[in-house]
Amino acid sequence: MDFATGQHAFAQALLHADAPLPLGLTGAGGAVDAARFAVYRNNVHVGLTRALAQRFGVTERLVGAEFFAGMARAYAQDHKPSSPLIIDYGDDFPDFIAGFEPAQTLPYLPDVARLEAAWTRAYHAADAAPLAFSRLAAFTPEALATLTLKPHPSATLLRSPYPAGAIWAAHQGTELADIEAWQPETVLVVRPEMAVNVHVLPASDGLFAALLFAGGTLGAAAEAALTEEPTFDFGAALVGLLTLSAFAGIHQGDVP
Amino acid sequence: MNAVPRDCLPARAGLGLKPEHYSHVLEARPDIGFFEVHAENYMGAGGPPHLYLEAVAGLYPLSLHGVGLSIGAAGPLDATHLRRLRDLIDRYRPQSFSEHLAWSTHDTGFLNDLLPLPYTPETLARVSEHVDEAQQAIGRQLLLENPSTYLLFAESTIDEIDFLEAVAERTGCGLLLDVNNVMVSCVNHRLDPTAYIDRFPVERVGEIHLAGYDETVDGAGDRLLIDAHGSPVKTDVMALYELTLARTGPLPTLIEWDNDVPAFPTLHAEAVRVDALIAGQAVRRNVLKRAG
Amino acid sequence: MNRSTLALALAGSLATALAGAAFAAPLSPEKMAGNEKCYGVALKGQNDCAAGAGTTCAGTSTMDYQGNAWKAVPKGTCVTMKGGMHMGSLTPIKS
Repeated sequence: MDFATGQHAFAQALLHADAPLPLGLTGAGGAVDAARFAVYRNNVHVGLTRALAQRFGVTERLVGAEFFAGMARAYAQDHKPSSPLIIDYGDDFPDFIAGFEPAQTLPYLPDVARLEAAWTRAYHAADAAPLAFSRLAAFTPEALATLTLKPHPSATLLRSPYPAGAIWAAHQGTELADIEAWQPETVLVVRPEMAVNVHVLPASDGLFAALLFAGGTLGAAAEAALTEEPTFDFGAALVGLLTLSAFAGIHQGDVP
Repeated sequence: MNAVPRDCLPARAGLGLKPEHYSHVLEARPDIGFFEVHAENYMGAGGPPHLYLEAVAGLYPLSLHGVGLSIGAAGPLDATHLRRLRDLIDRYRPQSFSEHLAWSTHDTGFLNDLLPLPYTPETLARVSEHVDEAQQAIGRQLLLENPSTYLLFAESTIDEIDFLEAVAERTGCGLLLDVNNVMVSCVNHRLDPTAYIDRFPVERVGEIHLAGYDETVDGAGDRLLIDAHGSPVKTDVMALYELTLARTGPLPTLIEWDNDVPAFPTLHAEAVRVDALIAGQAVRRNVLKRAG
Repeated sequence: MNRSTLALALAGSLATALAGAAFAAPLSPEKMAGNEKCYGVALKGQNDCAAGAGTTCAGTSTMDYQGNAWKAVPKGTCVTMKGGMHMGSLTPIKS
C-alpha cells in the first residue's frame, strides 16, 4: 500500500465510528486493539465538539450540555474544519442548528448562536480605525445621499425576530438575568478597540442599519426606513451607528 | 539556514501562554524563562491575541509551536498555511519554531489531531521534502517533534529515532524531544523509554517538552497512555526528564498544559520544579568540568 | 419626496444630530466608549468570555465519541414569561 492510499484509508476509518479499522495497523502484541485506534477517533471528535462548546457557551446553556454534545457531534461528523485555524471553526454552526430537527422547539437558538459566532469573529477580526464624524461633514447634501459606508471589519449586524441580544446577555453571569421584553432585536457586534461590544439598536433603526450593512446608500436606506416608520430620525440613527463604531470607511457613489 | 540562530531560547523552563493568563503575565511579570504559543491560535487578522502576544514577546523569549502544518501528510503542504506561518514568524521573530512528525490534513478537511505515519523510505523522503519546503518558506530552521502514538504500522521498516535523525540529517532541521511523548509511546508499544532516550541524537535537540499524560487500558487490558496535556507532569516522566538532562545538558524545556488549564500559580510551580532540575544539571556539569 | 428634497432633509437631520450630540469633532475611542450608552442598549458581556474559543488542544481520554446515545430533548435554561406576553425570564429547567 503506498503512502497516500494508506493515509486515505486511515482518514476514512477515523471519520466513521462504525467503519472497520484500516489494514496494516499493529500493536506491541501483534494485532492492534480497537481501543487504540479509538483514541484517534475520539481526539478528533472531542477536540471539535469542545471547540464548539467554547465558542457557543450560551447556546450550550440554553440546551444543556448533553443535548449540545449530541448536536455538536452531529455537526462535526459532516463539517470538518476547512483549515487548521480552529478559531474559525463553527462559523456555519448556527445555520446547522437552524436545520437541526431536535432543536426546533427553541426557535431563537440559531440567532443566539449567530451572535456568539459574531463575537469570536469580532475578537479575531482585523483592527481598524472607526469612521470619524468629521468625514461626513465634507459632503454636499446631494453627495451625502449617495454615500455607502463600509462596515467595520469586526462588525456583524444581526436582525432577529427574537430578543437574541437579551437572551445572550441574560446568560453572561452565573445567575440568569431577566429579559425585559420579548420582542425582535437588531444586534450590533463590533470591536472598535480591544473589547468586543454587543448593542441592541433602537427598533426604528434596524432596517436602516441592515440596508447600510448590505451596501445600500444613505439615501436609499433612509428612504426605506422612513417608509417603514415615518418618525425615523436619520441624523440620530447615523450618528448613533457611528458612535458605536459600526463603520470604518466611506465610499461616494455618483451624484445623480 | 542550518546555522543555529544566535538569538535562541534560554535553557530554562517555559510555559504555554494562555488567554486566561495574559493580564496576569503582563502585570506580575513572573520569572519564566520563555513562553510558547500555538501558531494557529494567532492566525486571526487582529484583536487582543496579537496585542497581548506582542506585549509578551517584548518581555520574554518566544517559542512558536505549530500544530497544523501536517508535515507527515502524503499530500502536498498547504501553501496558504505556509504563508501564514511565514507572516507570523516575520512579525514576532520567535526564538524557536517547531512542528510535529505527524499529519492532520485530508481531502475532507482538517482532522484536528496529530496522526501517526508509517516509517518507510517513501515516507522518509516525503517528510524530508516537506521539512525542506517549510524551512525554505519560513526562512529559518525548524525543530521537528517526536510524536506520541497509540498504534504501529506493519509496513514500518525504519525505527522512529533513525527516522527523525535521517530527516534532520537530510534537511538540517533540529529536533524537539518531547519526553512525555517518549513515555506515552514506549509504554503503549512496550518499549523501554530509557533506551529511547539513550539512543536519541541529543546534539540535534533544541528544545524539550514535558506534559501530563492520562492513563487507561485497552480492550486487552494493556496499559494505554494518552498524551492529554491536562495535568501535572507525572513522576516517571520527571525521572525520565532527569535522565534526558544528564545526556543533553541544560535545554529550554516547555511544560505543556492545554486542557483544563489551571490558575497561573500552579503552572508557575511546575516551572520552578523544572528550573531546579535544569540548574542542578548545570551545577553537576560545572563540578565535573572542574574535577576533570 | 423627490431626491433633492430627501437629500436636503437628510443633511439637515444629520446636522442637527451632530450639533445636538456635540459630536462636531472626532472623538477619541475612549470618549466614544463612554458615550455609547447614548444610543441603543449596550449589553454587558464577559469581556473575554470567548477568548479561548477555538484554541487548539491536545488529546483526551474522555471517551465521548459513541454514536447516537443521547436524548434528543433540549434540557437547558428555558424562557418563561412573567407578567403577560411581553416579559420573560430565563430559568433553569429542573431535570
